[in-house]
Amino acid sequence: MDSLRIEATSCSPFIEFDGTTGALRIEGESYPENSFDFYAPVFTWLEDFLKDPAPAVVLDIGLSYLNTSSIKCLIDVLEMLDTAHGAGRDVAVRWHYDRDNDRALDMAEEFKEDVTLPFDILAR
Amino acid sequence: MKGTDLFNLQELLSRQKLLICFSGPFSHSVIEELGKAVRNHLENEQIEKSSIMDVFSVYVEQAQNVRNYTASREALGRPIPANSGIVVIAKDGDHYVVSSGNLVEAEDVPGLSASLEKLRGLDKAGLKAAYKEQTRKPRDSMGAGSGAGLGLIDMARKATRPLEYSVRAVDSRYYFFSLEVQI
Repeated sequence: MDSLRIEATSCSPFIEFDGTTGALRIEGESYPENSFDFYAPVFTWLEDFLKDPAPAVVLDIGLSYLNTSSIKCLIDVLEMLDTAHGAGRDVAVRWHYDRDNDRALDMAEEFKEDVTLPFDILAR
Repeated sequence: MKGTDLFNLQELLSRQKLLICFSGPFSHSVIEELGKAVRNHLENEQIEKSSIMDVFSVYVEQAQNVRNYTASREALGRPIPANSGIVVIAKDGDHYVVSSGNLVEAEDVPGLSASLEKLRGLDKAGLKAAYKEQTRKPRDSMGAGSGAGLGLIDMARKATRPLEYSVRAVDSRYYFFSLEVQI
């Protein structure tokens, strides 16, 4: 499966989803002009990717700030992964936050509450 | 603009201890640039990073709300009188206050007031529950170009006192809506 790569801008994150290895990465800040439009290709890609039972998926998130419409999109991404995990797919999430950014930690904890898949919160 | 008017305007802005004030067309690039300026300014103020992020995020939510509302009326073929939006950030003692104002159509006022009254009546746990409930609504149910309906709840959660708002009739079609969030 093809990979998905979206370069970062000053208000949208770097995204790299590798369909072969199952390594997914979202990094940066997210408050684009229209979050639903921005994340639309991410949903489409994931939907395809999650149809297959393999490979195992690891999503590394390094988001230091998200506006509320980006939060909604990320919740939906996690929900898709959680559903796949519930159906037997090997899925894990690792949330990386900067030690001096309490808000990123709060945010990570709140995202974690909504899912049952393995979700590690790691300081960096 | 005449010199005396400019002087009076500047004096009013200083009296209010405003860090920034913007009134005009809210393009995404304006929102972004002002946001960066605010962050740079606050980073030099020796305040906690979490407070900087709270001020920045409440600013982004308010500015994007004004912009999204304006864009949504435009999409309906009912553009709002140009440049009627304003956003300001002020320092008030130990607190920062982010405020915005914009014209809203008269028919939207009851719904908006009801949402705000509801949020004003909720404690921390109630706000969190309202937030979680809203996040579970399907993305498709949210109108194109609008947000996720989380902005006001998120601001209420970050605020150090209940959200303050006011509505004032401008003419038969429009009200001026203002929102004040203390961090």
